[in-house]
Amino acid sequence: MSAQPEATPVGDRPDLAAGPAGPLLSVRDLHVTYRGEGGGVPAVRGVSFDLDRGETLGLAGESGCGKSTMVGALLRLLPSGTKVSGEVLLEGEDVLAMKPGRLRAVRWTEASIVFQGALHTLNPVHRIGRQMAEPIEVHEPSISSRETRRRVEELLEVVGLPARRADDYPHQLSGGQRQRVLIALALACNPSLLIADEPTTALDVMVQAQVLQLLEDLQKELGLAVIFITHDLSTLSSACRRLAVMYAGRIVEDGPSREVFREAAHPYTEALSAAFPVIGDMRFRMKPSGLGGDPPDPREIPPGCPFHPRCPVVEPRCATTAVELWPTGRPEHTASCVRVLEGTS
Amino acid sequence: MSVGATTGSARRITWMRRRRAFGRGWADYRKSTAGLIGLGVLGVFVVFALAAPVIANRDNLDASKVNNPLWAHPLDFLPLGTDNLGRPVWDQLVYGARISLLVGLAATVIAIVIGASVGIVSGFFGGWVSAVLMRLTEWFLVIPFLPLAIVLAAILGPSVQNVIIVIGITSWPGTARVIRAQVLTLKERLYVDRSRALGASNGHLMSRHIFPNVAPLILANLTLTVPIAILSETTLAFLGLGDPLRPSWGRMLDDAFSAGALTENAWWYYLPPGLCILLVVLAFTLVGHALEEVLDPRLREPKGP
Amino acid sequence: MSFRFVSRRVLGSLATLAFVIAFNFFLFRVVEGDPVATLFRGRNLTQEQRATLTHQFGLDGSRAHQFVSYLQQTAQLNLGRSYESNELVSSAIWRAAWPTIALVGVSTLLSTVFGVLIGISAAWKRGSKRDYGLTSFTMTTYAMPDFWLGMLLLVVFGVMLSLFPIGGITNAGSDATGVSKLLDEAHHMFLPCLTLTLAYLGEYALVMRSSLLDTMREDYLVLARAKGLRDIVVRNHHAVPNALLPVVTLIAINFGFVLSGAIAVETIFSWPGLGLATSQAIRGPDLPMLQGLFLVFSASVIFFNLIADLLYAYLDPRVRTG
Repeated sequence: MSAQPEATPVGDRPDLAAGPAGPLLSVRDLHVTYRGEGGGVPAVRGVSFDLDRGETLGLAGESGCGKSTMVGALLRLLPSGTKVSGEVLLEGEDVLAMKPGRLRAVRWTEASIVFQGALHTLNPVHRIGRQMAEPIEVHEPSISSRETRRRVEELLEVVGLPARRADDYPHQLSGGQRQRVLIALALACNPSLLIADEPTTALDVMVQAQVLQLLEDLQKELGLAVIFITHDLSTLSSACRRLAVMYAGRIVEDGPSREVFREAAHPYTEALSAAFPVIGDMRFRMKPSGLGGDPPDPREIPPGCPFHPRCPVVEPRCATTAVELWPTGRPEHTASCVRVLEGTS
Repeated sequence: MSVGATTGSARRITWMRRRRAFGRGWADYRKSTAGLIGLGVLGVFVVFALAAPVIANRDNLDASKVNNPLWAHPLDFLPLGTDNLGRPVWDQLVYGARISLLVGLAATVIAIVIGASVGIVSGFFGGWVSAVLMRLTEWFLVIPFLPLAIVLAAILGPSVQNVIIVIGITSWPGTARVIRAQVLTLKERLYVDRSRALGASNGHLMSRHIFPNVAPLILANLTLTVPIAILSETTLAFLGLGDPLRPSWGRMLDDAFSAGALTENAWWYYLPPGLCILLVVLAFTLVGHALEEVLDPRLREPKGP
Repeated sequence: MSFRFVSRRVLGSLATLAFVIAFNFFLFRVVEGDPVATLFRGRNLTQEQRATLTHQFGLDGSRAHQFVSYLQQTAQLNLGRSYESNELVSSAIWRAAWPTIALVGVSTLLSTVFGVLIGISAAWKRGSKRDYGLTSFTMTTYAMPDFWLGMLLLVVFGVMLSLFPIGGITNAGSDATGVSKLLDEAHHMFLPCLTLTLAYLGEYALVMRSSLLDTMREDYLVLARAKGLRDIVVRNHHAVPNALLPVVTLIAINFGFVLSGAIAVETIFSWPGLGLATSQAIRGPDLPMLQGLFLVFSASVIFFNLIADLLYAYLDPRVRTG
């Protein structure tokens, strides 16, 4: 865990981009359907994307759009009985096809998750140190307890917590401290991919900024690939190089984050970014924000483009065209809106 | 217009809403096979108990009025054989159903009435009223039921009414605690404050707002208290504290045991009453759980593939 | 767990005990109406005998006077004399206590262990055939009158198969000592113990099951799985310790209650404990005996409730350190 002297944005470091054999993570046509009456509830309906080593991807969307479900699907953590199909290639291996033993070995060592730091994410009856030592002991059974303890204290230091916190119980820590513990925990087995699922949502604004900064610094230092999930777009624009927006179980826009945030190709993205104004940015002064209506019920998705009932620039063909992610003409920027086809976005 | 007087149409609307809610609740309840089985079994037993004069003969309960062989096997003496005094077991079973079910229900009603009142009053008023009532509830909870029931029954003397009273006044604390918790959450809700701002009295609030919302919970609690009451009656009767003049399932077990039915291998005497108790208690438990699932959807077991 | 916390709980329990003692007195003297008449119910005694007995049982003198002397006697652990045997109630209770403690102790241990294991197994595979089977089984045994189950076991294993004795704690007339006596007693205890175990394990199984089902909803289990832990490890190291907390309290509380819950079962098996003493005292009615037994039962419930409170506070780190 050495510190790099200059903090170059990882997106500009080709030596970390494509590793041994292609992208670090490759998701192909992922479908997730929860168990339920009448065929089940489709939460993710065909998501595909690639993630290179060291690349940072932000994933935004309202609650219920399927982003947390997708996170669960990546490491097969969804409730039993949930139907998952497609491919999740992590370091070239399909997670969905792995045998249980291989899956357990891969979890935390290749990819780990930082959950929301609510009091219920950490086990209330175990001390912090024990919970952090657990993955280390499981994946490196021959390690000595002294060495484990040393690693735990080191991890705490990296996230800016005093080592003695290891002897505390979760309820004795503040929300911000718990979040740091979860980050330290996620780094315990040196993963290549870190998935942060709404890590700042439950925190105060001041603490949010600190935690976001910590994540950014760690990502640059360690060259981690990060998937950063949130419903608040404004936090993503600086932390991530790339931004994807989800709606009704699908990705509706994917591109460089600054571009997606400021010059959205999809009407939904525009509405979403308008809802989280950046203080001081004049553009937000005059535009009306907020979007009427609710996201569709996963069991009753509208035909054609799922967003068309709420879309402020809807056209008649939106209800009949099967939309997919089309290139917008700008580099690496795709969106699933019919207006993109004509270049009118 | 004062809050106390609701117009005719307002009342009708409330009733229509309640009827529809009841219909939805029933539709939900129907989804639980266990709940329906329980309800069916209970129905059978209730019919049995009510039809006692038709399907059984009261005179057969009196040893002096019968002239049958003693310890007769069911195959020799339909349908359930006779006991050590020649009395047919069948009649005891059917009439015993009446007492066991009656005591179970009546005692539960008493327990629920006391418990719900204490719960509602204590939850609604708070303060020292609640503190006093809760202390009282705790004390009653701590006193072990069976010894208290035994002592009271021994003192008050054995009769059906006394057994009902004894079980009733020892079972109310559980209900009180559950109802009080629910009232506390209801109190937080805005409509209570709004009503008060309109000038509603405490009585109005308790009867028109609080009570209808705890009523379903009371019902669920009732169905789960009845089996306990029936089992309590069984134990009390077995120990000789039941009414000596009336048959009950517990009393049959006591008679069977004292008469040596175990060594005589007269299984027709002690097996049927026990089985009946088991079935009735199970049925009430199933109904109670199904009701709880209807009221709190989180409790529902996942269904389907 | 501060001293203040513990002392507050202890004082609360003592207050409840005081209430029970006073309640005990009023239960027998006041509710009854005329204790003197009850004392002589169905007995043929001379005037002189009546006077002696009345004085002996402290039934002369005013109510207030009686209450005071009752308190004094209770403080000295003098609980009066049995109407039937004229033996000191306290010594009769002392003698009968040990068989009950042995019987209830062992059966509670067994029902909690098996009940908890069954509950865990059923909850973890919720909705499966295993869950359905286990839950049905435990609900059925719990729905039976415990003494009826005892009767069935007695008939099958005692009478028909003659595997176990049908009553008592030792074989009549035997003068075995030491280990063989213990074995004999254990042999006699088997059936009543089995009865109580089966009758009460349902409650632990159902509570453990629902507690574990609640715990299974918690997010820290997802995190535990994400770390790469095996399913069994997630269950036993993360889910079960949290789910056990309410069960532990239940066990402690129940121990106090089962002491009095074994009354009918002891009667079936003629097990010479507090329960058999109670059912015999009912037939009298032997009021001093009943009064003493009631006090002992209530005191044990209060005591074990206190233990349960303190135990829960100790085991839950949120209460212990918070």
